[in-house]
Amino acid sequence: MTLPPGVRSVPVGSLRTEVLKSLRQPGARWGHATAREQYGGGLALEVLVLDTRRGTGTVLSAPLPPGTQEYSSVTPEVPAAHWAERAIGDLFGLRATGHPRWESLLLHEAWPADHYPLRSDAPEETKPAPREAYQFLRVEGEGVHQIPVGPIHAGIIEPGHFRFSCLGGVIANLEIRLGYQHRGIEKRMTEVPWAQGRFLAESASSDTAVGNALAHSVAIEQLLGAEPAPRVQALRTIALELERVACHLGDLGGLSGDIGFSPGAALFSRLRGAALGLGEKLTGSRLQRGYARPLGVSRDLGDATRMALREGTEELARKVGQALPMLLGNPGVVERMEGAGRLSANLAKEFGLVGPAARASGGHYDARRCFAHGVYPDPELTPATRTGGDAYARAEVRGDEVTASLTRVAGLLDSLPVGKVQTALPERLPAGRVAVGVVEAWRGELIHWVTTDGEGRISRYCIKDPSFNNWTGLAIAARGNLVADFPLCNKSFSLSYSGNDL
Amino acid sequence: MLSSLRALVGAGMATQRGLFPDQPEGANGLPKVTEQPCLGERCGLCVAACPTQAIALGPAAGGEGAVALDRGVCIGCSGCLEACPTGTLARDLRTRTAVTRREDLVFSNRQRPVRGAEPRRPSELLRSLHVREVSTGCNATDLEVQATTNPIFDAARFGVHFVASPRFADALLVTGPVARGMREAVVRCHRAMGAPRLVLAVGTCAVSGGLHRGGYAEAEGVSVVLQPDVYVPGCPPHPWSIIHGLLVAMGRAEGVAAGTTTEKEPDGSRGKGT
Repeated sequence: MTLPPGVRSVPVGSLRTEVLKSLRQPGARWGHATAREQYGGGLALEVLVLDTRRGTGTVLSAPLPPGTQEYSSVTPEVPAAHWAERAIGDLFGLRATGHPRWESLLLHEAWPADHYPLRSDAPEETKPAPREAYQFLRVEGEGVHQIPVGPIHAGIIEPGHFRFSCLGGVIANLEIRLGYQHRGIEKRMTEVPWAQGRFLAESASSDTAVGNALAHSVAIEQLLGAEPAPRVQALRTIALELERVACHLGDLGGLSGDIGFSPGAALFSRLRGAALGLGEKLTGSRLQRGYARPLGVSRDLGDATRMALREGTEELARKVGQALPMLLGNPGVVERMEGAGRLSANLAKEFGLVGPAARASGGHYDARRCFAHGVYPDPELTPATRTGGDAYARAEVRGDEVTASLTRVAGLLDSLPVGKVQTALPERLPAGRVAVGVVEAWRGELIHWVTTDGEGRISRYCIKDPSFNNWTGLAIAARGNLVADFPLCNKSFSLSYSGNDL
Repeated sequence: MLSSLRALVGAGMATQRGLFPDQPEGANGLPKVTEQPCLGERCGLCVAACPTQAIALGPAAGGEGAVALDRGVCIGCSGCLEACPTGTLARDLRTRTAVTRREDLVFSNRQRPVRGAEPRRPSELLRSLHVREVSTGCNATDLEVQATTNPIFDAARFGVHFVASPRFADALLVTGPVARGMREAVVRCHRAMGAPRLVLAVGTCAVSGGLHRGGYAEAEGVSVVLQPDVYVPGCPPHPWSIIHGLLVAMGRAEGVAAGTTTEKEPDGSRGKGT
């Protein structure tokens, strides 16, 4: 079990310096930033700094004097903070002074100005004042033209707006504007009965059902101070790794499609189907919805099904072993993907990228090595890494991870501990606690950060999807590429829009 | 190149030949209402287990002993049927789940009034349907819509094609709960389509807002802005159920009217050109 994060109260005036000091500690990593209403009134601004060495973190909590409207931005020193501060602006009406690019992130013209949904003292929506039009970054110079794309895209994919500033067919700058799917999940998590919150938590980004359910479960278990049985941990890990396998295989198929390599698209979508079939055997749902839950899983695994899963895993691993060289060893595929959407190691690090995208740009961070979730942490886990930083490197990392995950699933099925898979949960959560669940979901580090009030109700539920870090990586990587290669760059990052919009 | 060809030929045919097979044994499926008597409000275990308030009992469902289950709100978690002590709620693994009338998603153990025939589908869409998908916040349903085009389900064999612009489309397929930020985009997409233009609400979110109902983002499904012609329940729906919805839209299959155990079993494969 992870340790709950330490909470340190700091005056808002010194929050910035305290954050910078904490981030200089060995093993420290920017986690997330948000605000919340305190029990008893008033807002607090909070920054989560993760401690990857001890598998926990520190919440630097700065209570705000009444009437506070701004604070000093940390983005100039910590670029990874830039979207978190903008989200705080939209949800709480707090401005980060010194932020290099202050615009809305989640709320759009469809929402009135001065409406801050996570503040209870926000003025009622009596006179909906129109929101100021969003100002895209202007790129000037001879021949520069703009291409607006979205929110609705050409494929079967989520909505978001891409504004390309181009020189001929080459992207000079890409600005990504999301938030169209904002569903108010964080607030809703404080309104529904907590024992049923797991379903809503899954739908934060419903293609990451296991990742989200597991991060939710870890956080709730931390609040309760309880640890699930070893069998539960093993079963949830199998689900988490099967989700990774299915999604990575789907992405390899998608990448094949985006470069016109139809045999790859057909083959990998079939393999993805096989991986979903394994997940369905385990959980009853192709996308493994509703399986992982606090202190348990929704159903036990019988021995016959275990054997069938074991066989299916082995067969899938064999087929994947044949399919990967067909894609990654094909000279046409290599030529098409090499050099496309290159992201340098230092920028990936500066903007705090996570998951396969970070590891394809030389990063080594994998939350499975540091944070407790399922059978993890496993300090022995060797992260799949590449240094190319391009679409090809990201495809290779995915390929490696599929193979490694299938090996792990097979190992877990062979040595499944015995025991119960469900434990009754108490009616109430402990009062005045903070918990942080960190999971290496298939897209990377996923955080569920939960605070309870003086009566044990969830007063703030904050989710940081891996894509929240990685969208900026895509914007940077697209520069200098052909507009025609953007679908390839985009797919190679494979980001969640709804996980970002929440 | 040769090795690719060898691998592809060696992999054989993946496409499922039988149409609308049941979901495999062990799958969650969706709940249905059987004729087993219900204990009513004094039991109430199903209502307590449901995370989306999809079940009504007793007078709220039409009288003593009545139960009404709204698949348009249900996320298929199986909580209710696992809690049900009488077997009134049971698992339904069938994949023909699409309907053309919202009220047909409400399953009940009460006699339902006999209704007229279903609205006729435009016959010009019988052979092919060009579909524009708009996602508004459920990437799981998006994945299952995508899966209908893969070699296993192969929706193209029914004449279904997903197109890149509303200008090419006969049908608008909406996934996700259509919260405030996406309403204008959905409406403008629909307006850009030529007639006949059908609307499909695919997935529980799109039908009713599902898990997202009740929040400040007013995520209550597509019907807030457009009248759907076809509803496909599920969170997410099975790819076969999505294909069923598409065939219902084309007029090649009938929407299954809700009921207890006596639903029609239409044959999705009928119609010209199959």
